[in-house]
Amino acid sequence: MPQTRIKTVLPQLVILLIGGAIGALYGQILVGLLIASLGLLGWHSMQLFRLERWLRTGEIIKLPDGNGIWPRAFARIQYITERASRNRNNWRSLIKELRTSAKAFPDGGIILNSNHEIINYNKAARRMLGLKKKRDRGQRIDNLIRNPVFVSYLESDETRDGVDIPGLAGEDSWLSCRMIPYGPGQRLLLIRDITQRIKLERVRSDFVANASHELRTPLTVISGYLDALADDDQLPDAWAGPIKDMCQQAERMNLLVDDLLELSRLESSEPGSMETSVDVVELLRFLQKEILVIDEHPETIELRLDSQAKLLGEEAEIQSIAANLVFNAVRYTAPDGRVSIRWHVDDRGGHLTVEDTGMGIAPEDIPRVTERFFRADSGRDRRRGGTGLGLAIVKHALKRHDGELEIASSLGEGSKFVCHFPRSRLIVDE
Amino acid sequence: MEAEQFGQHISRSFNAELENLRNEVLRMGGMVENHLDMAIEAIVAGDSELGLTVAGQDHKINQMEVAIDEECNRILATRGPTATDLRLIVAVIKAITDLERVGDEAQKIGYLASHLASNQEPSGHYRELSELGEHVKKMLHDALDAFLRLDAKDALLVVEEDKLVDDEYDMILRQCISMMMEDSRTIRRFMDVSWAARALERIGDHAKNISEYVIYMVHGKDIRHLELDQVRQEMGVE
Repeated sequence: MPQTRIKTVLPQLVILLIGGAIGALYGQILVGLLIASLGLLGWHSMQLFRLERWLRTGEIIKLPDGNGIWPRAFARIQYITERASRNRNNWRSLIKELRTSAKAFPDGGIILNSNHEIINYNKAARRMLGLKKKRDRGQRIDNLIRNPVFVSYLESDETRDGVDIPGLAGEDSWLSCRMIPYGPGQRLLLIRDITQRIKLERVRSDFVANASHELRTPLTVISGYLDALADDDQLPDAWAGPIKDMCQQAERMNLLVDDLLELSRLESSEPGSMETSVDVVELLRFLQKEILVIDEHPETIELRLDSQAKLLGEEAEIQSIAANLVFNAVRYTAPDGRVSIRWHVDDRGGHLTVEDTGMGIAPEDIPRVTERFFRADSGRDRRRGGTGLGLAIVKHALKRHDGELEIASSLGEGSKFVCHFPRSRLIVDE
Repeated sequence: MEAEQFGQHISRSFNAELENLRNEVLRMGGMVENHLDMAIEAIVAGDSELGLTVAGQDHKINQMEVAIDEECNRILATRGPTATDLRLIVAVIKAITDLERVGDEAQKIGYLASHLASNQEPSGHYRELSELGEHVKKMLHDALDAFLRLDAKDALLVVEEDKLVDDEYDMILRQCISMMMEDSRTIRRFMDVSWAARALERIGDHAKNISEYVIYMVHGKDIRHLELDQVRQEMGVE
């Protein structure tokens, strides 16, 4: 750097000296110095004007040559500008790439601020929600998607599960919306078109419901004739056994069809009403009596009623939950075992517990036992009866009552099924 | 200095009040749209329970109307709004009346749906009703969107749409009449169907009214009872 300074300062000093020397010849040193200084000043000003014009107009000029301060300054500025424009181009292509990928994204994405106002959105979101290009930025999302279900989801700040709302594309179009928080107060609203999925689900559940319904009529005819045959005295004895078997199987099919219909009804309807109350205590007492009249039942059927609380919901469904759990326990428990049923209430809500000393469930099977037709192992043959749909019915009926099923079990020692009902569904009057 | 700050403060809270008013109207609109949606679903799918649910929830909309109305009166009394602000308030007062009526029509359709469903399984005759329903649903949606965006052009499109809805209604009515003439036992049922169609057609009219208020809000021009060509000329659109 000092070298540059010397190179810059030295010529100027020389010019001043020459000016002074020429002045001295005429006996006017000061005038000579002044003229030389003015010359230098003029030259510098000219360079400054050039620089200003270059920066303003951006026109390509011939850069001053040499090694002095001005050429260096010009070269430096040119270097900085070129680097900046290179960077800018890089940024631009990066942003363009991001934009294109956001555009190609099949799901809609909307960025919201803490006031639910739209900051930005991609093309898919625009298409799905019928937004206007760029113009809807700054609008509140709940003014555009006015569905009350969505609005209350937005206000609840609940981000775990999304909500499904009807789409704009007319009949049967559905959108699934999900909020993902990120950064301070910023949220990403993801929107997916789930029309196809809803349609498929509907087709499937319609099929199950229709098929079960159609099976019922021929089944009634078959069971009717079988009953008549079973009562027929003139029938050869050799046929008595097979006909009894057929009666049993027809009965089983009947139960199966009933369960399938029940399940498809539970799946397709709205949450259980909050208007009727169910007397759980009476219901459980009745169940206990029902079991005790069966020929083969475990030695002890214990009933512990720690609470008189009633439950808000559909009587038939609560009955179905309790009956399925209790008959399951009875079915898998040896005659010398015990089954205990308990109803109690605590701070978290009401709990219906069914415990048995049966064969238990292997830990890896526990998550799967509520699947349709799942059997813990093939050794558990179908002779014990049951349709394989009981726990699936329990699960769906509980879901409709905002409840949850908890299963604890160890192989060979027994199982414990607990139904948790929320407090909002209890009527406790002490 | 102090007075200026005070003035700014007033205008800011005034802005917030107007903004809030608009949000409330749209929230009410959302609820009305939802009810209409359910009512149409109830009548087309023959779901009598859903129909009764819709009919039983109309009081919520009425409550919102009363609340918004009170808020408008309060703003008029305390702020003395002028120009655009005044037009907004006037438009809101009118729009909520129409929205409330749409709610009433949805309630009516709900009752009719439960009545129809208990009489007979829905048949193909409800397809036209479903189409008309989708049509007026879209009109109401677009009218509320135009209200939100203060978009007079979109509002005008809704106004133009009303003509088509009227034609569809006429068609359903003609079909109903021919059905009734064919078999007099169905008169009762098709009376209900034509009442439902009538309710939907009225909803279309209410959506049209809301759009007209939007145009009034944006341009300050009352286009009610004007011919469409004249309106286009006044608004300066083709």
